[in-house]
Amino acid sequence: MKILVCLKQVPHQDARLDIDGSGSWIEESGIKFEINSYDTFALEEALQIKDAGEAEVVVASIGPDRVSQALRTALGMGADRAVHVKDAETAGSDALGIAKLLAAIAAEEKPDLVLMGLMSDDGNASAVPPMLAQLMDAPHATAVMKVSANGESFQVERELEGGALEVVELPRPCLIAVQTGINQVRYASLKGIMAAKKKPLNVKSAADLGLAGQVGAAGAKVKLEKLSPPPRGEGAEILEGSTDQVVAGLVSKIRELGLL
Amino acid sequence: MGATLVVAEIQKGAVREASFELAAFARKLGEPVMSLLIGSGISDLAAGFAGRGGGRTWFADDPALANYNVDGWTAAILAAVSASGAETVLLSNTPCGWDVAPRIAAALDAGFVSDVFDYRDGRYRRRVFNGKLDAEVSCSAERAVATVQPGAIAPFEGASEGAAEALPVELGALRARFVETREAEARGVDLTKADIIVSGGRGVGDPEKFGEVIEPLADALGGAMGASRPVVDAGWLPHEYQVGSSGQIVTPKLYIACGISGAIQHLVGMKGANYIIAINKDADAPIFEVAQLGVVGDLFEVVPALTEAVKAAKG
Ligand SMILES: Cc1cc2nc3c(=O)[nH]c(=O)nc-3n(C[C@H](O)[C@H](O)[C@H](O)COP(=O)(O)OP(=O)(O)OC[C@H]3O[C@@H](n4cnc5c(N)ncnc54)[C@H](O)[C@@H]3O)c2cc1C
Ligand SMILES: Nc1ncnc2c1ncn2[C@@H]1O[C@H](COP(=O)(O)O)[C@@H](O)[C@H]1O
Repeated sequence: MKILVCLKQVPHQDARLDIDGSGSWIEESGIKFEINSYDTFALEEALQIKDAGEAEVVVASIGPDRVSQALRTALGMGADRAVHVKDAETAGSDALGIAKLLAAIAAEEKPDLVLMGLMSDDGNASAVPPMLAQLMDAPHATAVMKVSANGESFQVERELEGGALEVVELPRPCLIAVQTGINQVRYASLKGIMAAKKKPLNVKSAADLGLAGQVGAAGAKVKLEKLSPPPRGEGAEILEGSTDQVVAGLVSKIRELGLL
Repeated sequence: MGATLVVAEIQKGAVREASFELAAFARKLGEPVMSLLIGSGISDLAAGFAGRGGGRTWFADDPALANYNVDGWTAAILAAVSASGAETVLLSNTPCGWDVAPRIAAALDAGFVSDVFDYRDGRYRRRVFNGKLDAEVSCSAERAVATVQPGAIAPFEGASEGAAEALPVELGALRARFVETREAEARGVDLTKADIIVSGGRGVGDPEKFGEVIEPLADALGGAMGASRPVVDAGWLPHEYQVGSSGQIVTPKLYIACGISGAIQHLVGMKGANYIIAINKDADAPIFEVAQLGVVGDLFEVVPALTEAVKAAKG
């Protein structure tokens, strides 16, 4: 079985978010990046399927130079090969542009299963996985909390609201976008990191994938025009002072509420 | 702008509240508003919705559509887009909506914007970076597909003109197969009954700290302990402690959020609390917008000190 895992590198969850000069993205210089949290769970799920039987795990990501770091980490965790779409022409792609690039990779790789994250921690779009499934003409499921191989199909449990689950059967090839918490994500071992250095990491351009001139900012139908801090409403009354002073303020409020 | 198609959802035999919100949202984009309902044995529901915000309403009625099915919904929505000539397709950002909407956008080569809470001056408004920043998004495609955040806008309450008509859909072979729905399991910890909840988030940092810092405050106050999702995802606490859209919806008299940023999926679960106190080291954390009282500081200093003070006050 071949599994394609699509992962995105995003600003670290604790990174400072300053809006850049263009006003439409954050200042990327000087901040740390990491693999999108949802995608670490997707990769772990692929590696668990590999551990349980025979599978080749290919990881793919679209993004600038720094993304090779994320792919090396994935190889260190146990993925077999990586594909990096590194091409200035892809900058500013909307979700459909990213899905088209990934669909071209899927057409080359012909995976039995594509594993992805439910959403990205930066754009929060939740857009690419169902788009890619549509372009691949394959069935899909999102917010998946359990995957079981079942002969030529996968049975998955989708998370609904309030803790309810929906069980769905998907024939191969199919695409599964996982929810966080589906598994416990492993760390790359030192041995894994050493081994990763010898694993193949192919770099491709939009042209290599037959999409020259079709992706990137020029081809994007959706554009992020402006970022701003969320508007401030009334907001909370902020207690100022030493720890003792704020604690005294909290205690008197809790007493006033009749809860002490 | 051309017609807007509202894809309404049925839940427990009725049209979902979020679908009436969609009907209201659609009117921000302009008229005409048309709708689609998908299910089995739903002609009456469709007729009702047509008069209560749906406008001209198609219904895709088939036993194979009795439960959500991604292939079935894709076929039905694409058929309704052709029948209506809609330029904009709206769905709710619910497990069905977020699952199928991007597929429709890809099939139509349309622009796609998710989880929007407003539309003004030709731009969709949404939150990014898990609630920390606001974004204005434009769509230049001939067609747009958008999902709308449930609860973002008041539901449509007036009357609308329009009849319901059956929509023929060529379902073909459905590849995805619905097996069953499982309701949430009974929980060992029922946070919905607690008067006071002290919740910890990713900022608590590691599992031991829940026992050392969060639980003692909950105990001192005679309340319960709760958590945000990443805490449960990491296996620090079982799922029954999770507050939020995919955990428990709680309405205590007092909710103390420690090291929780305030993403919408968490807020949905606790903003109904009578009084909210937030302790977070980031003054810009969105949690301070729903809290009445806040401390900008290190929870590892504030929370243990508060625990001692509460114990002292109780004598
Ligand atoms: C479909 C779906 C369903 C979801 N369901 C839920 C749900 O039910 N419940 C839920 O909670 N989330 C849910 N989420 C996840 C949600 O989007 C957020 O990712 C999550 O709520 C963030 O949790 P957090 O605030 O603990 O972590 P973060 O957003 O990482 O925030 C951590 C906070 O801790 C603060 N902090 C760090 N160290 C300290 C310190 N020493 N002292 C004080 N403050 C500190 C930081 O400033 C930061 O604000 C769901 C997401 C999706 C897509
Ligand atoms: N640039 C990218 N490269 C590879 N995969 C991506 C990229 N962007 C998004 N994805 C995948 O799509 C999922 C959802 O992202 P999004 O639709 O941007 O919220 C992510 O969790 C990844 O699995």
